[in-house]
Amino acid sequence: MSAIEIREVSKAFRGHQAVDRVSFTVEPGTVTGFLGPNGAGKTTTLRCLLGLVRPDGGEGLVNGRSYASLPNPLAEVGAVLEATNLHPGRTGRNHLRVMCDAAGLPVSRAEEVLAEVGIAEAGNKRVGGYSMGMRQRLSLAGALLGDPGVLILDEPANGLDPEGIEWLRRFLRHQAHEKGVAVLVSSHVLAEVEQTVDDVVIIARGRLVHQGTLTEVTGDGESLHDAFLRLTSAGTDPHTVGDPK
Amino acid sequence: MTALVKSELRKVLTTRLWWILLLASLAWVALSLGVVVLASGMGEGLSRDSTEYAGSVWPMGASGTLFVMVIGIMMVTSEYQHRTINVTFLTSPRRLPVVLSKVVAASLVSLVFGVVVVGVSALVAGASILSGGGELNLVDNQVPRILAGSVAAYVVYAMIGVGLGALIRNQVAALVVSILWVFMLEPILVVIPQLQDVGKWMPGGAVSALYDTGIDYGLGAADLLPVWGAALVLVGYAAVAVALASVTTLRRDVV
Repeated sequence: MSAIEIREVSKAFRGHQAVDRVSFTVEPGTVTGFLGPNGAGKTTTLRCLLGLVRPDGGEGLVNGRSYASLPNPLAEVGAVLEATNLHPGRTGRNHLRVMCDAAGLPVSRAEEVLAEVGIAEAGNKRVGGYSMGMRQRLSLAGALLGDPGVLILDEPANGLDPEGIEWLRRFLRHQAHEKGVAVLVSSHVLAEVEQTVDDVVIIARGRLVHQGTLTEVTGDGESLHDAFLRLTSAGTDPHTVGDPK
Repeated sequence: MTALVKSELRKVLTTRLWWILLLASLAWVALSLGVVVLASGMGEGLSRDSTEYAGSVWPMGASGTLFVMVIGIMMVTSEYQHRTINVTFLTSPRRLPVVLSKVVAASLVSLVFGVVVVGVSALVAGASILSGGGELNLVDNQVPRILAGSVAAYVVYAMIGVGLGALIRNQVAALVVSILWVFMLEPILVVIPQLQDVGKWMPGGAVSALYDTGIDYGLGAADLLPVWGAALVLVGYAAVAVALASVTTLRRDVV
């Protein structure tokens, strides 16, 4: 069974088809990059998977079940949609404790995950005083509370400095390759994911354009960047200069 | 549910909002009481040993209900404002228990809030009556009912706040609507005799029935529901608020 299975998910907002019959799977022990230009439908697909948005058609499954039917979601899935989903007047530690309460976890988990993401000393500070990088780490800490086997992260590298990006890269690879976690990480910054992911799922204008291993995409010497541009612009833009087939 | 209620209580207690509003509520009640007490020292004011004076100061603790309504509203709207609703629904994807937990947590917070504000107000009211040579026992032993009714008013307004917040979701809009309702619409409907037929059915009118003393201040005794009827009406408003909060929250996409 795949850790994540997206089956024919479609969603339109006010007549605009944001996601159009997208299907793909994510396997345990791999880091899968979910790639596409801004507005391609990445976030909408993830929101459908996570039960925040009701798809018009299709379904998303985590460990074979819909997210809303998981008995204790935090113990199976850690998800971060935006690092800005934080109350500025609440401390980082209390943000995590609120989650612990709701998930029935001991509040001591808050300290442990703060240390795990390297911001233990900032736990008593209000989030309003956090840098973007610290907010990313705090959000990630929340996803780790239940020690889940699936991690879903939407643009986790936003706002991280080079050191933070390197840390995130090692962290995600450790989660997937040492702990067997299924990691799905969306991004529009290709240079970042190229050194992190094993598999790639590429969508453009709401449609799946490619799923496969990274080496499949970049195998014939083409960089991920070029492959991405070729795949995501097919059929619309006159971006075919020098390739008249 | 217990876990979710605990989580909602921690949300309320880990930002500064609750104690700022508690101080504001105490200040507002102190101001209202202060005006009456000061007036009693002047020529035209009520004499502090009079029934009219007692009847006007005992229910004063109920005048800070707007502040718990704001807490109820903010328990919902701040989640959308700061987008923490994502985290909330990712942690608890079944939304109905989340909404019900917010209502329960709002009731618990407002109960304590009401006990504190009404308690402090009653101490001041009682002290001012005693120092003026009056008696603590109002006609027909009404004081316990007035105080209990005042505390109940806090609980009902907090629940209505949760419903209003879920319905309107935009924080500023929800706050403006609630302030206009409490400070403009309800006083007009409750005070003007020709409109009291409508006003007595409003939450504010029903709450007034809970702490009304039946004393005539010159406008004629207020036309209000009987206490049991008012209690039923308020339970109805609370139920409508919970239903609104549930229906509006369950199906909406969180984008």
